[in-house]
Amino acid sequence: MVGVTMFACIFAFLLHHIPHHIERQVLCLPKYSFKGGVHPLHSQHEGKLPTRNAPIRDFVSDSVVIPMSMHLGAPSKPCVSKGDHVKIGQLIGEPVGGLGLPVHASISGEVTAVEPRLITGAGPVMCVCIQNDFADEWVDGIQGYGNVETVDPALIVPAIKAAGICGMGGASFPAHVKLTLPEGKTCDTIILNGAECETFLTADYRLMIEEPRRVVDGLRAEMRALGVKRGVIAIEDNKMEAIESMRKAAAGREGVEIAVLRTKYPQGGEKQLIHAVTGRQVPSGKLPIEVHTIVTNVATAAAIADAVIDGKPLISRITTVTGKVVNPSNLRVRIGTVVADMIGECGGYSEEAAKIVMGGGMTGVCTANADIPIAKANGGIVVYNEKDAKSVDEEPCIRCARCVQACPMGLDPYKLKHLCDAGNLEGAKANHVMDCILCGCCSYACPSRRWLTAAFKNTKDAIAAAARRK
Amino acid sequence: MSLYMSTAPHVRSPQNTRSLMGDVLIALAPTTIAGIYFFGVSAAIVVALATASAILFEYLWQKLTHKTIRIGDLSAAVTGLLVGLNLPPTAPWWLPIIGSGLAIILVKQLFGGIGDNFVNPALAARGILLASWPVRMTAFVLPTCFSGADATTSATVLAGYEASYMDMFLGNIPGCIGEVCKAAILLGFLYMLVRGVITWRIPVTFLAVVFVFSAILGNDPLQAILCGGVMLGAVFMATDYTTSPMSAKGQFIYAAGCGIIVVIIRNFCNYPEGVTYAILVMNIVTPLLDKYVKPRLYGRLKEEKANG
Repeated sequence: MVGVTMFACIFAFLLHHIPHHIERQVLCLPKYSFKGGVHPLHSQHEGKLPTRNAPIRDFVSDSVVIPMSMHLGAPSKPCVSKGDHVKIGQLIGEPVGGLGLPVHASISGEVTAVEPRLITGAGPVMCVCIQNDFADEWVDGIQGYGNVETVDPALIVPAIKAAGICGMGGASFPAHVKLTLPEGKTCDTIILNGAECETFLTADYRLMIEEPRRVVDGLRAEMRALGVKRGVIAIEDNKMEAIESMRKAAAGREGVEIAVLRTKYPQGGEKQLIHAVTGRQVPSGKLPIEVHTIVTNVATAAAIADAVIDGKPLISRITTVTGKVVNPSNLRVRIGTVVADMIGECGGYSEEAAKIVMGGGMTGVCTANADIPIAKANGGIVVYNEKDAKSVDEEPCIRCARCVQACPMGLDPYKLKHLCDAGNLEGAKANHVMDCILCGCCSYACPSRRWLTAAFKNTKDAIAAAARRK
Repeated sequence: MSLYMSTAPHVRSPQNTRSLMGDVLIALAPTTIAGIYFFGVSAAIVVALATASAILFEYLWQKLTHKTIRIGDLSAAVTGLLVGLNLPPTAPWWLPIIGSGLAIILVKQLFGGIGDNFVNPALAARGILLASWPVRMTAFVLPTCFSGADATTSATVLAGYEASYMDMFLGNIPGCIGEVCKAAILLGFLYMLVRGVITWRIPVTFLAVVFVFSAILGNDPLQAILCGGVMLGAVFMATDYTTSPMSAKGQFIYAAGCGIIVVIIRNFCNYPEGVTYAILVMNIVTPLLDKYVKPRLYGRLKEEKANG
């Protein structure tokens, strides 16, 4: 009897601690998941432990630097000049072109400069710098529609456009364009991406726990704008608290459901998410609307709720500041807050910083210094020390097939890498390099530390540049 | 403040080439210890000579050709150990050294070093030795288990030696140093699975095909997988990264091919064992499998299915 009990205990323990690769091989669970993928930093809870229980904290800095280019599309045109006094929510950049977005002042105070500055992942971009007068004055005429369930659906998309909302999960695609159906296309499902599969980041997780109502309101606004009957909030199964919170908030809301996803990177990749939730695959080179689906981030949905209910433009976002900082936090900051100020708010560096990454460990972009501002799509800042930041030398490929097994798009990364290194653009194209989503799984999994993703990014850029020249 | 700049990803898997090869060495430890237990000091000398000379050959070659010295990745140690485990315990001292030399220089380095060899170095070396010194390579003896008794020459199970299943499983039979103890090989297999060094696909498919195909041809299927080098080949040789296919589908085909060829050689050729040649043949087929058997691409389903 004792033996049986002990055996059962050991068995239960083993089941609980079964390594992921074994689970994947033996159990082969396909539901709400996708093929391939990796479990980065699995033994360290995806690097989320330091901030997952840190409540959202408001932080307003002395000054902000607001870039005119925070979205995909042409940079906005500054419409204030040095010396002007601006109030919160005041238009400071006018949209330019079809994918353009308005930019609003995120604090009240005096414009100290309108000049090009460095921002994440781009050269100098026109920025409006504002010195805070801490009067916290909103611009006149901020007026919302009060309730997402009663507002005229035709007014929703214009409100989103006026609020300057772009995808806040990282892609920064203008939200109103996404929510405007192209001729002849239909949409039957809107998926809110609450997977947050990226390492280190907990901003979306805290948002779902602390402000679930905003998220659900935003989803309902999107659904009503397009007349969509099904809205799915998709969350990974390592975020049980967020799942519970969203379940409560979604109870009784028309057509809103929660989908629990398996924890695996890149579960929150748009294509992987659509496949996991609907079983559909977005055709190569096409947009999700091709399979009647729209995906938006939970943070974007919350911003949409603010725009529709209160008429407030997008002036703040939640960003995780973690890594080698004294007090890792989830900060609600004004758009344009400088990284150095945020790190200061978190107690400063705990070790000498050797690398600062805007975003998570798998897809984040390095920054050359801490003087760059937070844009609408920056969900995280991760500070690395010398040991973790040091670059590693490439070793020869041993053909271990880990990249092939990890690729969520079904590519042959080892082969593509040879083609890309040889500069064979045609060969790379024929082997579908353009289907690569740059998730980083192959580079992560590679025991020879090869820079696979980097080679694919360069090749994709080169192919795109060649296509533009034609 | 000067900061490193690099492209994503900024986190890397804890597994690297050295740790993987180190895990293979650990997985081979039970097999090596069992071989030494059954065949005594002579087996230990053969294995040690093979391993040491493989590392030395790799070092010398890379030194003389002014290449990066890569003995630290432990792949030469794995190759050398496998060469030793594939020799009979009676092998004279020069046989393992020549074997490791062939494996490292002829098969591995001349084709470009780690990752570029087209056949498994240890197996190719064994194939050459088998063709060059057939008598010495098949001079098998009964296990002595440190009893002090003189080694008695014996045929293997495949060539007519009678043994119980238990003896075959535990390794109390004549054969190569590393192939006799199936229990130790399975222990190593389990370790590599848990550590994520290899997947189950190739070994399990290989053994299953040998089992089923032998049964179809009227052989004793259990004996078919418990005797000869099938188990060692399936777990440690056919799973060599460089010479096995990349896609899951390709790996199944490759392993099934290995199994079928083993049984064909055993039954229809005047050769008692065929694991070496079976795996070598499928090694050569691997580039073809990589070219034509690929993982399914995302987003390229038929239109109607994609919309379903």
